[in-house]
Amino acid sequence: MRKTDELIEENNHKRELLNVENEKVYEDLLLYLRTDLRIDEHAGEEILMDLLDHLVEAQEDGKSAKELFGESPQKYADELIENLPSQKRRNVFLFSASQVLGLTGWFAASFGMISLIVSFFRPVDNSIALGSLLLMLLSVMLVAFVGVSVIFKIIRSSVFQAEKKKWQAYVKAGLYGAAAFACVVLIAWLFQDFGPVIKLEWWLFLLIGLVFLAFSKLMYKWSE
Amino acid sequence: MALRSQLLKGVLDACVMAVVEEQPVYGYELSQKLQAIGLPDISDGTIYPVLLRLQKNGFIRGEMRPSASGPNRKYYFLTDQGQAELEQIAAEWLEIAKPVSQLLKRGGGYEKDR
Repeated sequence: MRKTDELIEENNHKRELLNVENEKVYEDLLLYLRTDLRIDEHAGEEILMDLLDHLVEAQEDGKSAKELFGESPQKYADELIENLPSQKRRNVFLFSASQVLGLTGWFAASFGMISLIVSFFRPVDNSIALGSLLLMLLSVMLVAFVGVSVIFKIIRSSVFQAEKKKWQAYVKAGLYGAAAFACVVLIAWLFQDFGPVIKLEWWLFLLIGLVFLAFSKLMYKWSE
Repeated sequence: MALRSQLLKGVLDACVMAVVEEQPVYGYELSQKLQAIGLPDISDGTIYPVLLRLQKNGFIRGEMRPSASGPNRKYYFLTDQGQAELEQIAAEWLEIAKPVSQLLKRGGGYEKDR
């Protein structure tokens, strides 16, 4: 497990020590920091842990989150972000690569497994159009990248707002997500048989998929 | 306003480094110590942006250690670079502190007289 993931898990447990009011303010701050993709993830989690420890102790002394973060938690969070180190290019690259490999791996492995299962009942056609496959992967990556940026932006703009505004933002983000998904489906449907066709045995798909998944895990581990 | 916050930033940095120099502390301890010294306004949340800034500049570094009360805490230590920075700020501050306070006290009297 990455050190950063350990911090995230510890944070999840420790947050339960907060009272309702403090938890609400703290979780807003947490969401605001975590959805900022410019800052170094590990440094961000470290300061979140520091603040949580502080808040827990302050709570025992009868102080509130307002006293810790001031009247405007968003202003306070912006001040923290300004002073946090930015995400290293190496980590951005490794993380993105691990996501792409992971996605491709899942796709290949499930394709192999499904064709194995189906082959018990009827003969299957294991041929796949390389052009369509590539186009599909590229569109998924593009949609995921743009989708995540847009959705994070919507969420960030509503973090410190009232509940009603938050709901509106979540609905908006959900609609964006659905539209993005529809785009991928449309592209897949429009370009069904595109480019050279290859035919592979089911176990080869599974093998390729598992190798990709293993590399994806490794790259994720290195990404800090 | 910009100048005012710049000035405050420098003084705050020096105060935090001076406390850390005396003894490595974690966040909550640091705020308690600043409060005890008599700086209540800069004590609670204000210290974290300062700690981040000092770390970014390499003046302090953090390290996880078990605390007196049990759980692991991030303790902050002064680096050699921080030591040099602190000595420089302290020397500059001591040079201007007395005359400036005297001058500003008079300034207050002048305001009243008007």
